[in-house]
Amino acid sequence: MKNPYRPIRAEVKEAVTETPTIKTIRFRPDEEIGFKTGQFIELTIPGVGEAPFTPSSRPSVREEMEVTVMRVGKVTEEIHKLQKGDIIGVRGPLGKGYPIESFKDKEILVVGGGCGFAPLRSLMYEFFDKSGQFRKLFFRGGCKTPGELLYREEIEGWAKRDDLDLDLTVDKADSQWKGNIGVVTNILDSVDMNYADGIAVVCGPPIAMKFATKKLLEMGFKDENIYLSMEKNMSCGIGKCGHCRIGTYYACQDGPVFTYAQIKDFPGIWD
Amino acid sequence: MYYLSREDFISLLRSLEKSYNVYAPVKKNNQRFYKKFAGDYSDILVGEVRPFEPLKAFFSPGRESVAEGFKPDVRLGEDKPSCVVGVKACDLKGFKVQDYVFLNHDYEDPFYSGRRKANLIISSDCTCAIDTCFCLALGVKPYPQEDFDINLSPVEGGFVVELGSSKGREVFNQHSHLFRKADEDSICVREEQRKRIIKEVDENIKDNNIPLQDELEGVVEEEGETDIWEDEVKTCVECGACNTICPTCHCFLLYDEKDEDKMQRLRIWDSCLVKDFARVAGGANPRPKLWMRLRNRFVKKFNFFPRVADIYACTGCGRCILACPAKIDIREVLRRLVDKKRIKE
Repeated sequence: MKNPYRPIRAEVKEAVTETPTIKTIRFRPDEEIGFKTGQFIELTIPGVGEAPFTPSSRPSVREEMEVTVMRVGKVTEEIHKLQKGDIIGVRGPLGKGYPIESFKDKEILVVGGGCGFAPLRSLMYEFFDKSGQFRKLFFRGGCKTPGELLYREEIEGWAKRDDLDLDLTVDKADSQWKGNIGVVTNILDSVDMNYADGIAVVCGPPIAMKFATKKLLEMGFKDENIYLSMEKNMSCGIGKCGHCRIGTYYACQDGPVFTYAQIKDFPGIWD
Repeated sequence: MYYLSREDFISLLRSLEKSYNVYAPVKKNNQRFYKKFAGDYSDILVGEVRPFEPLKAFFSPGRESVAEGFKPDVRLGEDKPSCVVGVKACDLKGFKVQDYVFLNHDYEDPFYSGRRKANLIISSDCTCAIDTCFCLALGVKPYPQEDFDINLSPVEGGFVVELGSSKGREVFNQHSHLFRKADEDSICVREEQRKRIIKEVDENIKDNNIPLQDELEGVVEEEGETDIWEDEVKTCVECGACNTICPTCHCFLLYDEKDEDKMQRLRIWDSCLVKDFARVAGGANPRPKLWMRLRNRFVKKFNFFPRVADIYACTGCGRCILACPAKIDIREVLRRLVDKKRIKE
């Protein structure tokens, strides 16, 4: 029987500094593991520990993957020290991804906040790979300052695409910023679609998700069409260790992507 | 049903030693503990009540290595499977929860399932009850009815034996010369004894005014009630004894260790009472207050497991009542919750 706790050896191929506190690590596992967009992995720093991340890379690329990591704790501190050639471990893919199949022929609004751009980048690439299968695609993103905007060059490239309506905002602008100023919920009204039948995907810090969800509900999105990424203490990744319970679910096994309808009645979902 | 004399029972255990590490209870200072036996069985205790340690320790030990480096092996720490003797019905109910967690999901835990297949359970009837026993309230009888391989009901000079699984039958077949058919008298003695213990536990339940599981539906809610939890938690010192001693608590912590040439992933029992249990690296904590974590323990047992697995994750073994240095009494907490709900209705 397979050992679900053992990490697969992987080699770091590249470490890119995105912002002073965020890096993207590209690595190649010895065994191809792949992932469905929205699924997550546990990344091991040998001897230090492991932490959960949703890959930020293109799901159709099977042999390599990327994670975009904010430095916040013991494991992420070590991840930020990684260099090309370093050996790490990886377990996964874990959890359930976005049900992309059910998004077919729908209008889709993707809302990202700060570090939440990471999983959404993977989702956007999946959409681009399947361009034409969805009726309309919107991206609305916000972060604190222009300097903290992840994947800036790539996103500028996305802005030129015909199949995507994109807009960004920052809480606090600098002299070069010519775009919107304010929180991401302020730029949702410009999304021209049938909200009642549309899909909304939200990923960001809990506080941003809370207010974005509130706004989306006001706009007319249905509970079961709002997809949220829950940040919980996912450790074993297979619904056994008990740390990431949300009501009758475990974020690791039943999520980390949930519809608002699934979790709205459970307490502390934004904590 | 069969009869096994005490002498033949010892012969059986001596024979089982070849393929198993044999553990059975012994009594020290009014407590019962599992001891590893070999050869000399003079202080073995089969009846009475559940030993101090929960049965789960033989299936997911308090500390074990679950991965070494990047090696895919599943290696159990013990040289031989365990034959656990004198297991009581309350601990067997623990399997219902532990099996649900470790076996019945998309991911089977190979360490647990390996032991579940290999270990042998020789259970026994309770021959007394202690003050904290309240199994009947949770639908458990004080004698094993399922989830055992062989069950022993102590009677004069030996045991009435019941086989509960194909594994038990196999052991019986290999040692059939030690057994004989149980006579009517022994079976009668067994039934009388069972009735007597049920009465004892029943008296415990009446004396302590303990709610029965039928009354527990919907009483432990994720939200709403705060007064009872804030009051009950006053003396809690966040030690986690209630978790480690509990036959149904299954939560664990994975952590990695590295010495010069070896990298190891260990798992240890964890406690949901501890502050950082659900905290994420970014700092958010869904249960920052201790009373919320005490409530969480009850929610998991009396709300989560009934909803996902149709079972109350309490076996009425009473261990947490004795283990808690803060004297938080699960029977009392449940009674307060039931009373409060009644007043509301």
